[in-house]
Amino acid sequence: MLIQRTEPAEGETPPNEGRWLMAQRRRGGSALMVAIALPLLSGVLLVGQAFCLASLLHRVVVEGADLPAVTTMLLTIAVLMITRIGLGIAAERAGIGAAERIKRSLRGMLYGALLDHRPDWTSARSSGALSAVIVDQTEALDGFFARYLPAMVQATILPLAFAAAILPVDVVVGLLFLVTAPLIPLFMALVGWGAEAATRAQADAFTRLSGLFADRLRGIVTLKLFDRADSETQTVVLASESLRKRTLGVLKIAFLSSAVLEFFAALGVAGVALYVGLTYLGFVDLRGSPLTLQAGLFCLLMAPEVYQPLRQLAAHYHDRAAAKAAVAEMAQQFGALPDLAESTIEGALPEPAPASSALAVSVALEGLTVYTPDRKHLVLDDVTLAIQPGTHIALLGQSGIGKSTLLEAMARLRAFDGKILIGGELLEDLAEADLRSRVAFLGQRPRLFHGTIADNIRLGRSGASDPDIRIAAERATVMEFACTLPEGLDTPIGEGGVGLSGGEAHRVALARIFLRDPGLILLDEPTAHLDTATEERVIDALLAFAVGRTLVVATHSAAIAARLDRTYRIAGGRVLPAAHPRWAGPQRNREGVA
Amino acid sequence: MTALWYFRPLFRRHAGRMAWTLLLTMLTLAAGIALLGVSGWFLTAAALSTAAVSFNLFGPSSLIRGLSLVRILSRYGEKLVGHDTTLRLLADLRGWLFASLFPRVPYAARDLRHGDLVSRLTADVDSLDTVFLVAIGPVVTALALGSAMAVLLFSLIPGAGLIYGLALLAAILIVPTVLVGVTRQRGREAVSASAETRMAVIDGIDGHSDLIAFGQTAAARAAFASATDRLALARRQVGSAGAWAAGAVQGLAGVSLLGVTAFGIGALRDGVLSGPVLVGLLLGVIASFEATAAIVRSIAKLGASMAAAERLKAIAIGRPPIADPVRPVPLPDGSTVTFSNVTFGHDSARPVLRGLDLTVPAGGRVAILGPSGSGKSTLLALLLRLQDPQGGSVSVAHTDIRAVAQRDLHRRVALLSQDTPVFLGTIRENLLIGRAEATDADLWHALDAARLADFVRGTAEGLDALVGETGRTLSAGQARRLCLARTLLSEAPVLAFDEPTAGLDRETEAEFLSDLARATRGRTILLSTHAGLPEGAVDRAYRLRDGKLEPADGFGPLLRPEDRAPQQRSAPAD
Repeated sequence: MLIQRTEPAEGETPPNEGRWLMAQRRRGGSALMVAIALPLLSGVLLVGQAFCLASLLHRVVVEGADLPAVTTMLLTIAVLMITRIGLGIAAERAGIGAAERIKRSLRGMLYGALLDHRPDWTSARSSGALSAVIVDQTEALDGFFARYLPAMVQATILPLAFAAAILPVDVVVGLLFLVTAPLIPLFMALVGWGAEAATRAQADAFTRLSGLFADRLRGIVTLKLFDRADSETQTVVLASESLRKRTLGVLKIAFLSSAVLEFFAALGVAGVALYVGLTYLGFVDLRGSPLTLQAGLFCLLMAPEVYQPLRQLAAHYHDRAAAKAAVAEMAQQFGALPDLAESTIEGALPEPAPASSALAVSVALEGLTVYTPDRKHLVLDDVTLAIQPGTHIALLGQSGIGKSTLLEAMARLRAFDGKILIGGELLEDLAEADLRSRVAFLGQRPRLFHGTIADNIRLGRSGASDPDIRIAAERATVMEFACTLPEGLDTPIGEGGVGLSGGEAHRVALARIFLRDPGLILLDEPTAHLDTATEERVIDALLAFAVGRTLVVATHSAAIAARLDRTYRIAGGRVLPAAHPRWAGPQRNREGVA
Repeated sequence: MTALWYFRPLFRRHAGRMAWTLLLTMLTLAAGIALLGVSGWFLTAAALSTAAVSFNLFGPSSLIRGLSLVRILSRYGEKLVGHDTTLRLLADLRGWLFASLFPRVPYAARDLRHGDLVSRLTADVDSLDTVFLVAIGPVVTALALGSAMAVLLFSLIPGAGLIYGLALLAAILIVPTVLVGVTRQRGREAVSASAETRMAVIDGIDGHSDLIAFGQTAAARAAFASATDRLALARRQVGSAGAWAAGAVQGLAGVSLLGVTAFGIGALRDGVLSGPVLVGLLLGVIASFEATAAIVRSIAKLGASMAAAERLKAIAIGRPPIADPVRPVPLPDGSTVTFSNVTFGHDSARPVLRGLDLTVPAGGRVAILGPSGSGKSTLLALLLRLQDPQGGSVSVAHTDIRAVAQRDLHRRVALLSQDTPVFLGTIRENLLIGRAEATDADLWHALDAARLADFVRGTAEGLDALVGETGRTLSAGQARRLCLARTLLSEAPVLAFDEPTAGLDRETEAEFLSDLARATRGRTILLSTHAGLPEGAVDRAYRLRDGKLEPADGFGPLLRPEDRAPQQRSAPAD
């Protein structure tokens, strides 16, 4: 049961990331429209501001006007400035708001997609890498929506609008702007092509680094005890170094593209200055009328502004590349991009209805075949088995033979071929809530979350009352150690059960089962970490609970097998009836024994 | 800020590159100011000039072209060197932080969650990039060039110089300071919400089966949504404050532009300066505010950087719970293990071990039996100094392990703990952690001893087969055996096994325990188990009951340290 490094699912080309990104715009709502529209308005006002400033200087320098004579103009400029500042603030806030909304909704969708997969999907992936996609790569979309999109619209419209405004003042300068402005984005697109591949490599390096950290931190005690501190630190430094090189590779291209743009912008400004200067001096005469200082200054003031939106676009061009790389990374980690049509309905899954039907259910396996996740090895080969309602069954077999696999398939936590019928219904046809209320499953390595012991038991049923939890804890022999703790069931435990011994942690997880009311109970090694005396008590509690329910237990323990109705052994991909081990304890008569 | 200050030694290492970045930033800004100033002056002078012949055209025009080129090149250089410096700094920081975690292991894992730690080492480190590249550099540059510009203005038009100087000072110092004050709390909130989001994702992955099986995915989604809501809100507030600050800086630029104009008109009337110079100065003022806009953008992120620095400092400082002695004594040869009168409890009021004695002679094989939670794992953890006892002492080769370097101790004693993970990587990489220089033959030998060789041989890739994070793609038993093989591979003369056969079926378990003596010949073995022990697996077995060891049925009498004297009982606990 081994995995391949996660590659994009073969045979399926990643969809156009750019188009997918643009489609996410609608998650931003009207705020995004505001963020795009306001800067355009501000651009119009800018023309007026430059015109006023040029006129003011003209009157002062050429006509020798005094301060009181130009006060009105000064005030006009001040009002224009204040208005533009206000527009700028509003636009920026709208952009940020839209970007946050988009990221939030996207994260919810990605996390939902993750939970909707079967656990065998997540277990083949790195938790660090997946969390990096949801947290960090999604963050990389921020610049695209908050800055790149508005900048792109501005760069398309404003330079041409400015050039048109300058045309009446001076035809030559206006034409110069009209011709040079569109050339620049064209050139930049060419540079941007190269940037994309490099950005993708960088996003990949970041995800890999996160995966490395998540993995190594988990086992840091082991690494320390094996004296691996230096060599593992070296690994981390090398991975960081490779991230640095890749990032710098991306940045070099991004910086080059903005340098090219600056060059053209500078050429444009210098060209205007030279043309205006030469016209003043009479070396050039391309206009009928003489050029006033006011007109000349206006052209000079507007020249940097014509190129400003383009420079801004160049500065944020990197955001677009980063966003596309992030989307590609999402597609790679998630196998495919989340469906656009699927809107985010957080918590769309209904809370499982409290199972009222405690009726034992039958289980039938027909031609059940299960492969390892890479589909290279066969674990279960054409298994057919019928379990009567209320029967208690032990599954034996060497470790790694497929006991857990069989239980996971029956709990719909793993892909399989063939049929599994629960209570006569096909497993895949059962509604999720229905399935979960009828079938209880406890894996071999159940997860304990950060929180109190009671919180962890309550995972079995969200609304469980404190007395219910106490009863469940007693049944799973949790109270035996919990009552020695100062805070009892309210004792906080670390994630993975830190603070508890292996056996204690397992009993906490087991207690969850007692909060449910299932017709079928699937348990994987419920007593693996327990000593004989505790095991005996746990089995007693489990059997008492399982009366009138169907029970399947994968176990190595002869003590359990002896007390169940039937024993099967898994070997060579088959499930075979096995001799029933003797139990020295009192004989019992129970219903449901076929 | 104090947290940021803590990291200055790392910054110092890159002082040369930083100085270059600063120099190039200044050059860029200076060229920009000069470019616009000269253009304005040139244009106005040309417009006013009546005799074209007498006007020096080539000087200014070549100056304009030269300045443009300088500005483009220096900006490219500034960005490249600046980012390179920052990225080197971050790489250093990651390595340094990761290395500084080891002495603190095992940290109080109950307080520090896995996802949170991952967040600190990735996202938090990343957010420190703002500090130098976009905050310190531009502030210093703007201050230097702004002062020069203010002095120049002041010498020509005192009133204009004063207004410009005050406005610039406000834009560079006051607005950012206020902004930091406003965004600090929000920035901290954003950093913690981001970590919470990551923890929620990792929890969802690690507990995926449990969440689905118990129908709790809706609750998990709700917890995740509340984390992302917090994150979005905090970020929006930080961004909003940044937008207001950017507006304020623009306003200050406008004030100085209008102020310089108003005072300039007076100066022009008085004949203090000429029209062209006034226009040149005005355009220079506009250009000099270019740097301040960038400052505000990055200062808005400084709150988050400071919070990140605090979180990083928190994991890097503090006395490690288990420290090496100041002058460690060399650990003499030998593999005798002695526990004398050891008392220990996670909560010292309720000790798990109470005056426990145990001697395992070199090459001896001892099993510790007892119910789960009785303190077996704790006993073994004390032997590795993952904890120190509150009373009594643990010795290896007749030397108190608190007197020797941990590294020496860990070379002498290897542990297979219950929670040791399989690492993301190949089977070979996982095994080599046990002994880096082991040959393939050694690896196969260890796999054989752990009864995993057949499985590995059965895979197409053999030793190079990849195993997932925490070995989730292996069965529990296979993962356990891989860790076992890793421990067997270690050359430590003392091996401690905590439930080595958990997850193995009875047959394999019995075979393994019988094999153990052969696989570990000559080494000292401490083994905690609740399994039945086959004949000959160990020399002695003890049962851990009420914090003390007693001989288990059918095994020899309890060995006591022969030198157990009263004064030893009062061995220092700390």
